[in-house]
Amino acid sequence: MMIPAARSESGSASACVSCHEDIWGEVKDSIHAKQGMSCHHCHGGDPSQKDSALAKAPGTGYIGIPDKKQLTQTCGTCHSDVAFMNPYGTRTDQLARYHTSAHGKALFEKDDKRVASCSDCHGYHDVLQVSDPASPVYPFNVPKTCATCHANEKLMSQYGLPADIFEKYKNSAHGTALLEKKDTGAAHCASCHGSHGAIPPGVSEIHAACGKCHINEQSNFLGSVHAGLAPDKKFLQCAACHGFHDIQPASPELFSQSCIRCHTDESPAFLVGKTIQGQVETAEQTFHTQDQNIQSARSEGIFTQDEEAMLSEMKTHLIEMTTKQHMLKEGKIAPLLETIESQAKEINNTLQAKRNSIRWRFLALIPLWIFIVIMVIAFILKYHRMDRNE
Amino acid sequence: MNLKKTIGSWITDRFDVEKIREPINYQLKKPLPPHTGWFHTLGSLSLFLFISQVLTGILLLIYYRPTIREAFESVQFIMTKPYLGWLYRQVHAWGGQLMIIIVFLHMLRTFITGSFKKPREITWISGVILFLTTLGFGFTGYLLPWNQLAYWATTVGTEIPAAIPWVGDWLKTFLRGGPNVGGETLSRFFVIHVIILPWAVFFLIAMHLFLVRFQGIATLDPVGEEKDIGKKGIPFFPHHLLKEGVVFFILLGVLVTLAIVFPFELGEKADPMQTPHAIKPEWYFLPMYQVLKFAEKMWGLLIISLAPLFLFLWPFLDKSRPRNPLKRPLSMTFFVLVLLSLLIFGLMGYFSEKNVKIFNTDYHIDIYGMPHKILPNATTEPTHEK
Ligand code: HEM
Repeated sequence: MMIPAARSESGSASACVSCHEDIWGEVKDSIHAKQGMSCHHCHGGDPSQKDSALAKAPGTGYIGIPDKKQLTQTCGTCHSDVAFMNPYGTRTDQLARYHTSAHGKALFEKDDKRVASCSDCHGYHDVLQVSDPASPVYPFNVPKTCATCHANEKLMSQYGLPADIFEKYKNSAHGTALLEKKDTGAAHCASCHGSHGAIPPGVSEIHAACGKCHINEQSNFLGSVHAGLAPDKKFLQCAACHGFHDIQPASPELFSQSCIRCHTDESPAFLVGKTIQGQVETAEQTFHTQDQNIQSARSEGIFTQDEEAMLSEMKTHLIEMTTKQHMLKEGKIAPLLETIESQAKEINNTLQAKRNSIRWRFLALIPLWIFIVIMVIAFILKYHRMDRNE
Repeated sequence: MNLKKTIGSWITDRFDVEKIREPINYQLKKPLPPHTGWFHTLGSLSLFLFISQVLTGILLLIYYRPTIREAFESVQFIMTKPYLGWLYRQVHAWGGQLMIIIVFLHMLRTFITGSFKKPREITWISGVILFLTTLGFGFTGYLLPWNQLAYWATTVGTEIPAAIPWVGDWLKTFLRGGPNVGGETLSRFFVIHVIILPWAVFFLIAMHLFLVRFQGIATLDPVGEEKDIGKKGIPFFPHHLLKEGVVFFILLGVLVTLAIVFPFELGEKADPMQTPHAIKPEWYFLPMYQVLKFAEKMWGLLIISLAPLFLFLWPFLDKSRPRNPLKRPLSMTFFVLVLLSLLIFGLMGYFSEKNVKIFNTDYHIDIYGMPHKILPNATTEPTHEK
């Protein structure tokens, strides 16, 4: 057992480095080296012995290269030690969770050495903090890291698992947000599957996985007729309509495409879906029209602050609508649509009034100039009449 | 009729009307020189514009707020909410522009007809002060809407006096009320624009008009050889007043038409963190601004401050006797040269830092107003040598 507190000998002071200088080169910038850890904390041995044989002699706890199982224990020595990890603010349940994961179970129950353990994802000598963008488990890098195995067709076929998940994910709404738009908040593999306790969410927990981020959609979904369906693997909750790894930005079109998979096109359920689709599409169209209307008014030189404020209220209602549609109740959507339509009417009316007022200003110039011309002619006539009188 | 009589006797019972009737009649009937024509209405047009600015300015003051937090928004409010707010804001903005033009033309008129010569030197000097205060109205008023253009033009404008040796920095800080253009500058400009300048101009105009009436409108006769106008004169009332009425109506129409057809945009709110490309002052400062670009800062300043000095001193420098412009070839040549240089520098300033097309060739006009051909495959704008 290595003693975590014994961190006095830093790598440069360790005798191991005199022979393994190349390896120290890999270690020296790692988070572990920066915290004063050295070779023997993981590999055992006596770093104070100048002689290589004495340093690795029996009784020094020397283990050489740890195998996969040993490795998880080695990491766990410190990372499961609550008192020791406390100052660093990191969790200490990683090893426990790993044992519950598909990876951990295969390793420990089936002695399957092909599965991932700590170093497969975090690296070994050059372990970086998770918050370091260069770390293989920094959000942007997670999908690639998982893909080292999960995109390996030969390896995956042995487990009957698909190897195209990364390809699908890469082009999904989540994938583009994470990898192209660099949005660290976008869902990656671990967001749904967990990291140390990685398992696919069960069919009945899909809504919980999605609901971690999509809170309102989840709670509305739980109010729908679908929520109570028995978890018989036929209905995949969120994934039933949206898919999973290749999820695309949702559009109302989904109602036409997805309901039909379970409901006939004459069934009342299908018609409800169609109605809601129509409601949402109308709302989106209405919003878009007024957005254009405001933009063109602005380019005509009209002040549109009031209308823009109303438009953003419309937007709020539209967002509310897109979450509420998951209840699959047309009656819940109708009042929102009504509000959106009446706001659109108001925007239209106020802009029309502003346009009319500008038209009136131009028209007012006609009587103004008629008046001016009359006055000017009258004054000039009077001037000439006086001239002649003199 | 009875009512008129009653009021009339009510007044004559209390005041010795006969005594004032005489001078009033004299003032009204006093004949103007025979050459008095349309160009002699420019002075009253200036007065009309000043009154219009005061009235629309009072209306603006009802809603305007001179703080950096509210100024822009309050102008926006005026342009959208109050009844006819858009109209009086636009009439005030256009009125300011027209006033500068009309006062300048009036100055040219009195120069061309030699009216500034003895005995009207003081009328001229009060006029020069009026012209400078009119420009002051423009400079201070421009900042008040607190939009990007105004903010940066004022930043550049208040930088100019900083080049004066010894007192420059103090002067800049005095104008700005701090190291940068900010809330203090706005308060200062506001007070100057709505309190100090209007009252100064009010008293200056009173003095100016008193002098004009007291000395009478100048004839075209050479200094010292003025003949009595006699029967050839044009009575001020009603003859000249009718002419003023005609131009007054036309100016009113032009003002309202400009306000409606070419409204001034408010633009973006001032943002001290974002400097726009090619900051320029208002058009009437462009010639001066362009001259400053060429000369070493201090020399440029000297050159442009010579202009008002020359204006002030002109009646004492040019003591020749003829007033008729045709008999003053030297002064008129000098006058044309000055106008031309104002025009040329103004145009250079206007087109500087712009791309223009002349005879199908694209040119980039650099900051000094010099054109450079844009090569078809050039990726960047040509850099200015100098
Ligand atoms: C707000 C500005 C001004 C107002 C309201 C104003 C008003 C007037 C008026 C009403 C007259 C008599 C009619 C006429 O000649 O047009 C006059 C005359 C005169 N003004 Fe001005 N003026 C202003 C600015 C100036 C300026 C800038 C100058 C010259 C620098 C000037 C120089 C004169 C002179 C010399 C006369 C006498 C003209 C003569 O006797 O023929 N004034 N002014």
